[in-house]
Amino acid sequence: MQTKELALSLFPLFLIIVLAGSTANCQTAANIFDGATITEKNIDFIFYPGFPEQHSTWNSIGYSPTSNSVFMGVTDHVKTTALYEYLPESGDMINRGYIADLANLREFQWQGKVHSKFVEGPNGDVYFSTDGGVLRSVHFRDHPNGYRGGFFMKWDTEKEKLTNLGYGMEYDAIKDMDVDPETGVMYGISFPQVHFLVYDADKNDFRDLGRLGGGHVPRHNFTDWWGNVYYVDWRQRLVKYEKSTEELVFARESLPSFEGTPGKTIITGITAFAKDEENGVIYLITYGAKVLAFYPTEDGIGEVVDLGGVIDTGDDRPWAPYVPNMNVGDNGKLYYFVGGHRQYVIEDHTLLVEMDPATGERNILYKFHVSEMREATGSNTKDKDGNLYFAGRKLGQDAIDSDENVEVTESTPFMIKFNPGKEVR
Amino acid sequence: MKKIAIILLTIVLFGGWTQLLNAQYTFWEPEGESFAIEVSLENTDLMRLPIYRNAVQSLIVTGDHIVAGTTADEGLAPFVYVASISQREMISYSDLEETIPGQRSIQSDFCQGTDGTLYAGTIANKDNYGKRGAGHLIAVDVDRDGAIAIQDLGSPVPGEGIFALTCDAAGSTIFGISYPTGKFFTYDIASGEEEVFDDIVPTDSERRDFRHYVQTPDMYLSRALVENERGMIYGSSGLNNIFYFNPEEKSFTILDETLPEVWGRTSLGQVQAWATSEDGLLYGGNRGDGELFILNPETGSVKNLGKPVLMHQLRGLAFGRDGKLYGVAGGPPGYGHLFSYDEEKGFHIYGNPQFTMVAPGIEQGIDWRAFNMSRLASSPDGKYIVIGEDESLSQLLIFAVAE
Repeated sequence: MQTKELALSLFPLFLIIVLAGSTANCQTAANIFDGATITEKNIDFIFYPGFPEQHSTWNSIGYSPTSNSVFMGVTDHVKTTALYEYLPESGDMINRGYIADLANLREFQWQGKVHSKFVEGPNGDVYFSTDGGVLRSVHFRDHPNGYRGGFFMKWDTEKEKLTNLGYGMEYDAIKDMDVDPETGVMYGISFPQVHFLVYDADKNDFRDLGRLGGGHVPRHNFTDWWGNVYYVDWRQRLVKYEKSTEELVFARESLPSFEGTPGKTIITGITAFAKDEENGVIYLITYGAKVLAFYPTEDGIGEVVDLGGVIDTGDDRPWAPYVPNMNVGDNGKLYYFVGGHRQYVIEDHTLLVEMDPATGERNILYKFHVSEMREATGSNTKDKDGNLYFAGRKLGQDAIDSDENVEVTESTPFMIKFNPGKEVR
Repeated sequence: MKKIAIILLTIVLFGGWTQLLNAQYTFWEPEGESFAIEVSLENTDLMRLPIYRNAVQSLIVTGDHIVAGTTADEGLAPFVYVASISQREMISYSDLEETIPGQRSIQSDFCQGTDGTLYAGTIANKDNYGKRGAGHLIAVDVDRDGAIAIQDLGSPVPGEGIFALTCDAAGSTIFGISYPTGKFFTYDIASGEEEVFDDIVPTDSERRDFRHYVQTPDMYLSRALVENERGMIYGSSGLNNIFYFNPEEKSFTILDETLPEVWGRTSLGQVQAWATSEDGLLYGGNRGDGELFILNPETGSVKNLGKPVLMHQLRGLAFGRDGKLYGVAGGPPGYGHLFSYDEEKGFHIYGNPQFTMVAPGIEQGIDWRAFNMSRLASSPDGKYIVIGEDESLSQLLIFAVAE
């Protein structure tokens, strides 16, 4: 579908958004479609017990099929991160402890947050990486009060034991990581230098394949079903680490973007992904608000299809909506929250959008004020029953009223559980 | 009235504080004409260098042309390339493999001969048995349109590479240091005659010291050479020493004063960069702890100006048209920082500078932030400070100096 046609088809949706915006300030989740099958009972917010200083979550969520549980890293956004495990069958949210204690970190090895996904590797172990991610890591870095570098970590779901697998680059965080489910080889992205890291912990074989980014670090890498790994360069071209050759392969063309997309947006790359292995497709969302269908191939780089914008903004800034999250439901439709980081289609509101890749149809299912939910992060987190999970957070009134940088004001994190096909509460 | 004043003061202070917080997410972006040039990019029809072969280790600006020599990963070959400041793009390159096969690095810096020809030295790749071959002296001619012609002048020190070099003011003689042994050599450009000296080769005792401190030749051989106004050639040698070579007498002198040091760290001494001021003073950068120093060649005295940043290394120095000395302090495993120095104000540290890079396909401009800056040079008029990166995909950053 051409962009213009898509825009016309979505115009009614825009009207709905405007109307919905006029009834803003709702205090609870509300389905804005009368008579829809999806109600407020299809979504639940589940809070984290036992961590009074908790502040936020940052893509730090993932599902383990072996243990049938969801893992989250919750941070105070200063120096403490707690590991949480949610058990869908019992509904229990369990605090597994502070990562610094579980991994025997010293004070100077403080970690600001987990910014990576949680992903299952061989033997059902769950892997993730750690990040500086706070003001002093951004600017102090190699100063003694700065950040010493991020670690690769492994959680043994059976023994409930955390193992520190070692550093990435000195002073650089590991913003995201993925793991080869066959070999356990890990693939990390460093911050702020945007280096692509390959690490076989069993052999202590660490390879730094060098810098791929510009002035910003794209937040996601992701694997396909053959164990190849993908990232983007500063031109937002896909870069593939080809498992068979152990080399980087660069796409010739940039991923699709809206005309007028600023350079600062281009260099930020992909903000969310969701895998539909059955249909051989990985859905991507870019920082420039495009939804893409990527069809990976074992060798070379596969086809990318432009599915249009995440939502019709109704203005000349279609690239502006911020979508750092996405899941694909058992029905084949995509679900993502639009809004966050002061980038909202409707002022101070986030929207849960259902997008059907087959038809291009987009429906707004829920609208939340930032006091209910400020933004959601997390990609590709679905349990065996088709429940979709996101890492959410909401702002207190003081933060809403403040002009301060929202990262240093108070907020409350929680896990979002959503199922478009059945009630979850 | 007092109450209103307190409220106003609170607003002002709070406003300033919030601006400060927001400022912490920003980086220094120079105003005016400063920009970045995309030199390296994989898999493209654009004129770009491939990955792992583009780390800038030699850099000079001649008129509108930025001429760079690169270092490649082991087993790969380097390039000489030319970028135009006015066109803001790379305009030509030459794969050294096509002229002298088996070379890995052009890291000696460039010097300029009488007729404008540039000279540099290379370091070879290891062979299948792990033995490094001989490096070569090369003559690089760049015509008005930027076309590059490279001539092989042979290996001045048999079996050795060339780690550093400079030319005399007349542009008739090249002075260099071999790699990995550290022999000093001279090369007469007109006749091609060379002479090799063992005087500053590290002694067995010094090499034992280096071994125990895990220092390799690339860490302890003089990374840069400079000629003073009287024609003496200065560099570092041994354990934190400064030497000069007298071309007429063919003699070496070790100065009484040493590179500035932190007590106990003499094994780390290495001059990484030199710049000569208008009054003939030699400004140097010491890798050991990243100190900037002034050497007065008339008296042999060394003045330690201190460290611009916490990290070690000081990898590039050049004067701008504003009279300030610009340099790159720090480096791996930390981050390089651009700084300036002048006698009145001392150091000003710009951090990791961020420049806008515009090229086909990214016409709107993207931010390029420099972390790992390896060499720095000024244009002959001092209007531009050019910085080369040492990355897997390295670019050029051009900082326009204010008048």
